[in-house]
Amino acid sequence: MAIMEVLDPTGKTADSQFGSMRQPLPRPKSLEGKTVGLLDISKPRGDVFLNEIENSLRDRGANIVRFTKPTFTKPAPVDLRQEIASSCDAVIEALAD
Amino acid sequence: MTPPTTETPSDTATTAPPAPPSNQLIRFGAAEDPFEAMFDRGWSDGLPLVPPTAERVAQMLSGTTRAPDEVVAVVPPDLVECTVETVAVNAVMAGCRPEYLPVVLTAVEAACTDEFNMHGVLATTMSVGPIIIVNGPIRHRIGMNSGGNVLGQGNRANLTIGRTLQLVVRNVGGGRPGEIDQSTLGNPGKLSFCFAEDEEGSPWESLAQERGFPAEASTVTIFAGEGPRVMVDQLSRQPERLAKSLALCLLTTGHPKMALAFDSILVVSPEHSARFRDAGWSKQRLQEELRKNMMIDVGRLPAAAKGITTEESESIQVKQLPKFRDGGLLIVHAGGRAGLFSSAICGWASGPAGSQPVTHEIEHV
Amino acid sequence: MHDITDLERRGVPGVFVASVEFDLAAKVQSSALGFAAPYVLVDHPIQDRTDDEMRIIAEKAVAELLEKLTSG
Repeated sequence: MAIMEVLDPTGKTADSQFGSMRQPLPRPKSLEGKTVGLLDISKPRGDVFLNEIENSLRDRGANIVRFTKPTFTKPAPVDLRQEIASSCDAVIEALAD
Repeated sequence: MTPPTTETPSDTATTAPPAPPSNQLIRFGAAEDPFEAMFDRGWSDGLPLVPPTAERVAQMLSGTTRAPDEVVAVVPPDLVECTVETVAVNAVMAGCRPEYLPVVLTAVEAACTDEFNMHGVLATTMSVGPIIIVNGPIRHRIGMNSGGNVLGQGNRANLTIGRTLQLVVRNVGGGRPGEIDQSTLGNPGKLSFCFAEDEEGSPWESLAQERGFPAEASTVTIFAGEGPRVMVDQLSRQPERLAKSLALCLLTTGHPKMALAFDSILVVSPEHSARFRDAGWSKQRLQEELRKNMMIDVGRLPAAAKGITTEESESIQVKQLPKFRDGGLLIVHAGGRAGLFSSAICGWASGPAGSQPVTHEIEHV
Repeated sequence: MHDITDLERRGVPGVFVASVEFDLAAKVQSSALGFAAPYVLVDHPIQDRTDDEMRIIAEKAVAELLEKLTSG
């Protein structure tokens, strides 16, 4: 896809502080009572890592839902992304090495 | 600079090298689809946008003689200064041609006045949005529609001018649905609602003339309104009976028992206006007949009657109140030649506490 | 990274975890995607670790994960 340069429609000028990258979403204050999805990318050892993360987050009051994508070599299938988006308040994906 | 015309839109592109843009350049990633990238950055109203490259924005700016860095308005809700260039960026995204830009600039100015109260129009839970009505010679020069399907789809100027105002409020003012825009239901016209009056086919003076502008002036009138609703009367052959029909329909604006609460636009179509033309009725006569048929019985003054305290309202015994305040019913002539229908567009809280219709002349054409 | 970029688009705040070797690739990819998906780096290598070693790596990552996933 061709790189394209466009002018900022929000009126921010060239010398303003704002970067041109899309910004991450606002974060919840804490994970207590939130549903956190743990997405395993299916690389060896990632499951052990996520088990430990799951225990830690549960200790902090989070509800955990585990997901596994079929292969680490490709983005997760759309159905899986939709499932995560409709059931989780936050998501952690691991573990790329 | 020669004003651009519909026939030779590219003439002005070569007149002078464009000044470098003031707005920051945003460079999309190599793997980003520019069209997706614009959605991702939150600039879109839900429909695709034209990427506002520096070249397209420079071309858009050729549609006006105003300086790119001139401040057009301070845009609600975040009260951000908006330059001609920033309006042009949004006009490119909305799909405008350069010759539409003077209309867009005037619409942005009119929307950002205290009288119109764009902040309130945006923030209300009611369904209203800004509606733009264009009068005067510019309608023809930029190819606006005032005829068949006038309130519908299909005409680039009508649709993209209205959309640009909406994008300016979104992107510059920061007014987005679910945030400051708290509308319960919204209406499809909040995407874009802009049309031209059929002055040539009208038996009456135009909306702009009625509001004090000469026939040769091109103007924008902005009104806070919701979606149009058709009023059917295929039987009345006398103007009195047709006026009564229209009044009955208009009475339901907001609620049939509410008086003095909302302004409205009455769009009279050619076949309906012919009844009044044949009888020699002026616009004023029609207004009077409508008013006569739109008196509402009330036990006491409702809270909606502005400027009256609760104590006063309880002490005043009122038998009847008019549906609309003086000047609160705007009559516009538009529509296709066939069809015995007119249209009602209900407004929002009227008067100084809500929104008032604003008409500005389009200058620097 | 593509997954977090897409999940954030769908309204879910996200973080991904990668080993330190992934850092440069992540930066290049962020620039290409126009979105700097938040990430936490852990020691490299991963594949030959024992379960106990993996648990220690995870324990060390928790604080930063919370920092990048919450605003509190």
